[in-house]
Amino acid sequence: MTMNELDELAQCLGQGQTKRVADLTQQLLDKGVGPQRILNEGLIAGMAVVGEKMRSGEMYLPEVLQAASGMQASLRLLKPYLVKEGAQPLGKILLGTVKGDMHDIGKNLVGIMLQGAGFEIVDLGLNVPPQKFIEAITDHTPAIVGLSAMLTTTMLNMKTTIDAIGAAGLRSQVKVIVGGAPVSQKFAEEIGADGYARDAVLAVDKVKQLLGVSAQG
Amino acid sequence: MNKRLEQALNCEPSDRVPFLPAIYEHKAWFVGETPSRVCRDVNLFTTAMFAEYERVQPDALTVGMDVYNVEAEAVGSKVLYYRGEDSSVPALAPEGAVFRGSEDVASLKMPDPKKDGRMPLNLEVARNVVRVLGREVPIRGAVSGPFSLAAHLVGPEHLFMLTVTHPRLVKDLVGFSAEAIKRYGEAFIDLGCGVVIFDSQASPELLSPQMYREFVLQPTQNIIKYFQQAGASHVPLIIGGNTTKIIDSYLETGANNILCDAKADSKEFLEKCSKARRAFRRNLDSANFLEAKPEELRRRASAMLQESQGFAGFIAGTSVVPYGTPLANLLAIRETVQEYSRGG
Repeated sequence: MTMNELDELAQCLGQGQTKRVADLTQQLLDKGVGPQRILNEGLIAGMAVVGEKMRSGEMYLPEVLQAASGMQASLRLLKPYLVKEGAQPLGKILLGTVKGDMHDIGKNLVGIMLQGAGFEIVDLGLNVPPQKFIEAITDHTPAIVGLSAMLTTTMLNMKTTIDAIGAAGLRSQVKVIVGGAPVSQKFAEEIGADGYARDAVLAVDKVKQLLGVSAQG
Repeated sequence: MNKRLEQALNCEPSDRVPFLPAIYEHKAWFVGETPSRVCRDVNLFTTAMFAEYERVQPDALTVGMDVYNVEAEAVGSKVLYYRGEDSSVPALAPEGAVFRGSEDVASLKMPDPKKDGRMPLNLEVARNVVRVLGREVPIRGAVSGPFSLAAHLVGPEHLFMLTVTHPRLVKDLVGFSAEAIKRYGEAFIDLGCGVVIFDSQASPELLSPQMYREFVLQPTQNIIKYFQQAGASHVPLIIGGNTTKIIDSYLETGANNILCDAKADSKEFLEKCSKARRAFRRNLDSANFLEAKPEELRRRASAMLQESQGFAGFIAGTSVVPYGTPLANLLAIRETVQEYSRGG
């Protein structure tokens, strides 16, 4: 029965049924199903399917945003239980859209996915100058910094940011991953990033890989 | 008047392939200013347009700098401008969208191109440029496409969510946007300009081909038909990203010049546009224009030109030229286009 409901949760998530996702999450919690299990077997499993469908062209941004909205609704319910269980974050991730860029849909999706996977997120928002990243690295000591850019003209500020982090003597303390519509693996390598992910689901895999966290979290 | 572009748009042979680099915020660099200052100053903007023509000699000029903001700002959305020497491009401010999604679309104010926002300023720039260069080079006004304007009225993320939860509202908002765009575009046409429509929020990188047909195609067809009836013989439609999946819809819009962006499949565009006798602009990816050596850009431009296979409707372009791109790099591309067309 529980297995079926977890499957249904994953399925409803992919179908963008935000209210149903929240209801199912509450039902599972009421039945005593562990929040970590709901997260792994319901939400993360569901978002993995969403990611695959997005990459294969079966799903587009509107449907992905709906799925993410369901995930957020479910996470809000799970969070108190996860805290009560004493679940420790897998790591702290600093996110921001680079200077000059006012697009944050992709970054927000990455934040939701990482949060769902058990990471703590510090979101600096959009149009973030290099100095603000540097200050936040000092203040929050994240394991990874994620840089987002949507435009060919602003992606160049990813390099500026990475260079500034290096000049501040902080580069060895953090891994840097990059993503966004115009960004590629080749570009990531050219600017000295540690990783690139083409979508939010793969960003979680990349973060786990860089931090040596197992796929099960 | 330069007939080269006209001939290419009619898919007729011309002396060489037209060259249309996408110069928007980079216009400001030509006059040593920031985009935020130039886009709000009629004299600086006009001077920047003259400088662009003098230095780069493109085969058409486009009056537009932060092209997606103008109509939205005229309706009431807030645009973020940058201070001091910050050369970032003005953009929709966070929480700056005028429409919340819960009210009636009819409550939005239809902008008046003569009065609202920076529409009058851009039209004044167009008037100045037409007066001086109108006999030499085609001049076009940049307008938003209907889906992109809707995104700037309600916020992009919100609009994408609404396509699923409130499709009727999205159709109403896109319909309102189409009307606003018609008014603004017609004002350019009245000055003797052409019009270029930009609608990259409707790219299949974001919106599915089915949703494009459902929400965007018909309003776009209406706008293009309206502009053609108002006297614009050619109406290009620019949608960035890999648009190969919507090429059939793209052609159905009625635009006689569509964009094959750097990521799109040029073979598919060549085949379908040749068959439809429709011109297309192929973009050279501008991601490394700031640091690239001219020789590298010559090689890449040459490879791009080979893709044209002699199609008369082929136009050589670039994706958005970054602010501060060395002039030598743009000239290297232009010279490659000129040499190729002379049989190189």
